[in-house]
Amino acid sequence: MTSPLVDIRGLEKRFDLSGSFLEQITFKGGRFQRKQEAVHAINGVDLQVQKGEALCVVGESGCGKSTVARTVMGLLSPSAGEVHYGGQRIDNLKGGDVLPYRRKMQMIFQNPYASLNPRMTIQQTLEEPIHFHRPELARSEVREKVQEVMQSVGIDPDWGSRFGHEFSGGQRQRIAIARALAVDPEFIVADEPISALDVSIQAQVLNLLMEAQETRNLTYLFITHDLAVVEHFGTRVAVMYLGRVCELAETKTLFSEPRHPYTQALLSAIPRLEDDRPNYIRLQGEVPTPVNLPSGCVFHGRCPYANERCRQEIPRLIVTDGGSQVACHAVEEGRL
Amino acid sequence: MKSNTPLLEVKNLDVRFAVRGGDLTALRGISFSLDKGERLGLVGESGAGKSVAAFSILNLIARPGYIAGGQILFEGKDLAAMSERELRKIRGNRIAMIFQDPMMTLNPVLSIGTQMVEAIKAHRRVSTKAAREIALSKLRKVQIPSPEKRLDQYPHELSGGMRQRVIIAIALLLDPEIIVADEPTTALDVTIQAEIMALLLDLCEQENVALILITHDLGVVSQVTQRMLVMYSGRIIEQGPTREIINDAQHPYTQGLINALPQMGEPGARLFQIPGSMPSLKNVPSGCPFNPRCDFATDQCRQVMPEYVRSGNVDVACYEVSNLIEQEKRMQEAGS
Repeated sequence: MTSPLVDIRGLEKRFDLSGSFLEQITFKGGRFQRKQEAVHAINGVDLQVQKGEALCVVGESGCGKSTVARTVMGLLSPSAGEVHYGGQRIDNLKGGDVLPYRRKMQMIFQNPYASLNPRMTIQQTLEEPIHFHRPELARSEVREKVQEVMQSVGIDPDWGSRFGHEFSGGQRQRIAIARALAVDPEFIVADEPISALDVSIQAQVLNLLMEAQETRNLTYLFITHDLAVVEHFGTRVAVMYLGRVCELAETKTLFSEPRHPYTQALLSAIPRLEDDRPNYIRLQGEVPTPVNLPSGCVFHGRCPYANERCRQEIPRLIVTDGGSQVACHAVEEGRL
Repeated sequence: MKSNTPLLEVKNLDVRFAVRGGDLTALRGISFSLDKGERLGLVGESGAGKSVAAFSILNLIARPGYIAGGQILFEGKDLAAMSERELRKIRGNRIAMIFQDPMMTLNPVLSIGTQMVEAIKAHRRVSTKAAREIALSKLRKVQIPSPEKRLDQYPHELSGGMRQRVIIAIALLLDPEIIVADEPTTALDVTIQAEIMALLLDLCEQENVALILITHDLGVVSQVTQRMLVMYSGRIIEQGPTREIINDAQHPYTQGLINALPQMGEPGARLFQIPGSMPSLKNVPSGCPFNPRCDFATDQCRQVMPEYVRSGNVDVACYEVSNLIEQEKRMQEAGS
């Protein structure tokens, strides 16, 4: 395999909950105690994004998928681990050194009602990143570029003088996509780009993203909770649970032969048109809080196949016969 | 059709919103009926009027909205013409409602037990102790672990799925005839959604409660309901048995909605997309509201709203469908 475009190595991210030093101190039973708490959002994630693919990260709320997206983009700094882009480590870059990478990596956010500045016209919104990243361009060239991206996402270039609120949700998301495309990026991180949209509009935006991938040779890191979209869109899929990747496979393999018990439960929960009744694998309990992570496999409390080893030892991703990578002792031991 | 009178019958309901510059028609000529124990799905995209329809069933439309015409017959009595006092005896008691966001529905400063007891005492003269017993039995019914403990907990101490279970328990408190559920699982994760939907379905079957389920998710509708209505721009454009519509939708909009689902397309291929978006209520096109987005639209469609025609067991409002049916009839006559 060629070297990956984006390489995420041993990524960890903790969010401190305990506040300032003084807030951590409690007086109990005649002595002072210091208590520190943190949300363990990502706990050791390794992912490689190959050039030209769409790597989808799926999972339920709180599994850390958006944190992965933000850490890769440099919006959050990792607590541990590294992010490499095209062979160069980027998570520790400072100041102006990041800029060339910012241009190559762009992000599309979930909510197009929040991600467009309400006080800027569409023209201004789209010009800003070009001015910033390519100051050498003349005004007329910038304007041309804006026209070109607006056309390519299906927004009439004559609408440039309008404001965000004059557009529908689907059109706003098109504009957000245009803003990401305006600086000719190679790599796009899309964090739930269609979940705020209606079904018929979702199809339009998905088609647009696929077209852009083809014509501009883009690579995607696509974050979503919607498995039906993944099945359609993704080249490979990483399933996350409580800050860890539990299964990573080619889309086809994952949907035809899910190996991890959590993946199996997740797939069975998609409401399918063919079904006459909800037909799904029941999991016990609920997702534990990421403040106090369970020992061993993070899924063991809800897993029907868990044994003593699962409660103690953290499973690593291993390659199975089908070609997928699974982090599960039961699969490794052949119990499943 | 059954000969006995249905539990709920909505006849030619018009709902309007009085705003500056004239009235907006949110619902136009809505007619449907619901039998005892029947499960009905209301499908449509945002702005189609499905939530307005749900609210108007309980005559909960707040100003500037008002019911401009039609009847809502519950056991033969017209809810649209009832006084607030009479309505209060029905709301929550005979017809219960489940809303989308469980955090907004529960009062954050009252314990679960207090809220449940309050609801019972509003309709029945029972002691607090007896009311708590009823509450406890309903919490058991929705399979909440350690229900005794939950009564004294506050909403913020429960997870999203747990809160929605509490809401369902509250809806069941007074053994209603109908539950109106407005997008009950939209705010939840897929695995939790599957659990809540299965629970709701089981309870409705066990207790023989009728369900009106409002959702944009066709998968959920096909799993849970027996009949469905498809709404577009304040009108019902298609209604009939769920299976029949899902398998062989007649209206071009319903067809488009189903075909736009990623699970219908070949992975990686372009998804079917309906061009444009739903018109705003301020400028609904004349004739069939779907005509600007429809491939089959003719001059007739642009001028006059089509009447319902029956195809199989499905009622459809579309000239294309009625023309096809006419054609078939003529062919048959010519053949015989």
